[in-house]
Amino acid sequence: MKLATWGWPPDKQRVIGWALALLTVFVVTTNEQDIGIARDEVVYMGAGTHYAQWWLGLVTFEHGISKQSITQGFGGADPTANNREHPPLMKTAMGFSHHLLYKTLGITDELTAYRMPSALLAGLLVLLVYSMTLAIWGFAEAILAAICALLLPRALFHAGLACFDAPIMTLWFATVYAYWRCLDDRKWPWQVGVVFGLALATKHNAVLLPFALGIHYIVIAWRAGRWRGLLYHKPRVLLSLALLGPLTLFVLWPWLWFDTFTHVRQWLTFHTSHVHYNFEYLGENWNAPRFPWHVALVTTLFTVPVATIAAACTGASVWIVRWRRGESADHERGPALLLGLSFAASIGPFFLGTTPIFGAEKHWMPALPTLCIAAGVGAVWAARRAGEALYAHRPGFSEEVAQRIALGVVGGALVLAGTTECVSAEPYGLTWYNALAGGAPGGADLGMNRQFWGVSARGVLPFIAKQPPGPVYSHDASPAWGWYQRLGYLPKGYPDAGHELEGIERSQLAIVIHEKHFNRHDYLIWKSYGTVRPVFVLKSGSVPIVSVYKRPP
Amino acid sequence: MTPRDAAALPTDRTWQKASQLVRSSYKEGDLILFAPDWIDPVGRMNFGDLISLDMAARMDTARYGRIWEVSIRGAHAPETEGLIPAMVRELDDITVRFFDRPPAVVVTDIREHLAAAKVEGPARPTLELAEVGFAPHRCVQVVPPAKSSVRITFPQLALGGRLVGYVGLADVFTRRSPRGPGTLRVEINGREVAAATAGVNDGWVRFEAPTTPGPADVTFVASADDPQRLICFAAEARQ
Repeated sequence: MKLATWGWPPDKQRVIGWALALLTVFVVTTNEQDIGIARDEVVYMGAGTHYAQWWLGLVTFEHGISKQSITQGFGGADPTANNREHPPLMKTAMGFSHHLLYKTLGITDELTAYRMPSALLAGLLVLLVYSMTLAIWGFAEAILAAICALLLPRALFHAGLACFDAPIMTLWFATVYAYWRCLDDRKWPWQVGVVFGLALATKHNAVLLPFALGIHYIVIAWRAGRWRGLLYHKPRVLLSLALLGPLTLFVLWPWLWFDTFTHVRQWLTFHTSHVHYNFEYLGENWNAPRFPWHVALVTTLFTVPVATIAAACTGASVWIVRWRRGESADHERGPALLLGLSFAASIGPFFLGTTPIFGAEKHWMPALPTLCIAAGVGAVWAARRAGEALYAHRPGFSEEVAQRIALGVVGGALVLAGTTECVSAEPYGLTWYNALAGGAPGGADLGMNRQFWGVSARGVLPFIAKQPPGPVYSHDASPAWGWYQRLGYLPKGYPDAGHELEGIERSQLAIVIHEKHFNRHDYLIWKSYGTVRPVFVLKSGSVPIVSVYKRPP
Repeated sequence: MTPRDAAALPTDRTWQKASQLVRSSYKEGDLILFAPDWIDPVGRMNFGDLISLDMAARMDTARYGRIWEVSIRGAHAPETEGLIPAMVRELDDITVRFFDRPPAVVVTDIREHLAAAKVEGPARPTLELAEVGFAPHRCVQVVPPAKSSVRITFPQLALGGRLVGYVGLADVFTRRSPRGPGTLRVEINGREVAAATAGVNDGWVRFEAPTTPGPADVTFVASADDPQRLICFAAEARQ
């Protein structure tokens, strides 16, 4: 079937993947220009500069490798000293990016420089999704899967931040892809171990990957040779994962170069005993387990474009039917099973009712590449059926033309739906919900979380800048306030007034970033200002996201 | 549950029209409600000069006879449930409903008598504007140490035919941990007439007791097993 390739030779097909990756980097970088600064970004950017300076100091012989210098650079006594609770790969990349793009070359602003590594990894994800789909299911499937990966509003939002959530999605999937590739007959499958190590060095989600890869390995090894297969199928892949993964993490994270086991234990314990932040879900504020079992399911259904979900359901059904018929693609390496297990390992812990839910979909974003590939497969399957129907009813068309028309319509609808959702979502992507939820207002009606991290405060800066200068109670945007002033988003004369009631009492202007558990900040301001009336309310899709109060004269 | 029609969203101009409509018939002391609750900030921006702190942080709506409900997307404020509107006006994507009903007659509001209250126990009550159940309430707040109680007696309080009150745990951040409830017992002339327990997810819990009109000593006993229970309560003697 020519539809599978549109007559494009394999080398040109690969170019498409690169083009989509570059487009993704461009879209992410353009989009993030309007996104405010997340509370956590401020910490990661600071740590990143610190880490990069340490490495630069090491290679320029400013300092050596000592327990003292590593502790100063990467650790400390406090559990969050130098942000040692998170592995260093992305932060180090941010620090080097800042050093190169901003300080040395001067081609971007500071914030863009810090955010660039995440944008590049978003592009890499699209390339990898494209490459795996192309290798297994076909050209049209690959294009649609890659575009679906680009047009995920929440993921697009996260990819623009100097954080780890979009990067771990990329490196998780890169590990899955490398594992699948390494299941060929290569002698030294070192790649999968190294990539797994990079994932471990990105975010702790990666420790869940062995569940997916391990179960998958057992299945395909059993298929290949029963008990003997379990021992002899591709043991070097397992060795690569078991040895090179931790070794790569070790090499990249100087904090592990001494007291290794203690530091690894502290890292993982921090996350297994993480405080449960407040989070609104279906009208209730949740800050302690047990959480509803369906949080991940419902949130995913409401935060992925509906057309992509529909296509993914179709694609998953296609995979199951083909498996039952013995027609699965690449049966020996079981890629559909692998993707399914990747999805399950990523999202599964959030069905337990005890895993923190406060970041919603960002916690299980590594599940999304599976969804996008399934969407690509499902959409092309649907297009083929539609093409057959068109050809049967309109014999005037050749079969090839009918198929192309069908693919254009089905694929076009998928792309258009995703594009529409992305355009309506940004720059307040955390407030956005899909058409199934009824958009941002539908999400608010349903009592879904409004936002977090204080990002949307950026939207009220132009209003504040028009007010008479004075201290501002900056609420959840407090960590970013200095950045906003430094980047020129806010003129001088509007300093952060400080925290809680003391800060409010000192302020002339006050903002509240609306989340259910932040209502108390409105009331603190009412008490101090003697009025319940904000002078400005920033909305996204008519949903209030930030209120600004002005102290009455 | 409100209809999720993404298109049903009012513009600033519609809000202005709603404001003009309400103001044309507004009388001092009218209560203005917004629905769904997530439009509250926009509502307060447009009507906030008509909403006093006490009104926003009310105990309940019973003392308000004239109520305006400004709503979008077919939503209704829970406080207007069962009431029949005297007027309904559709303004593009905003619905304004007006209710006129006999208000509850408040004989005494304990919050106005806190200064005269006699306190026995290891903590002092204060009058606060607090967050309870994610809503604002002006209340008497007391934080008894763990496994202890505080008695707050309002001597010779003028009572009507019933005492209506509410209790809850203030402050979402202290509610997060520990998770134990707070309890409030109400005694009139030494006899317990009501009790209510407020857990971390219970919000603003109502209690009510029939009373004999006339002066009486009314005591509220706040207790908790856990520390940091910001027990917040309000009560009105009504006819």
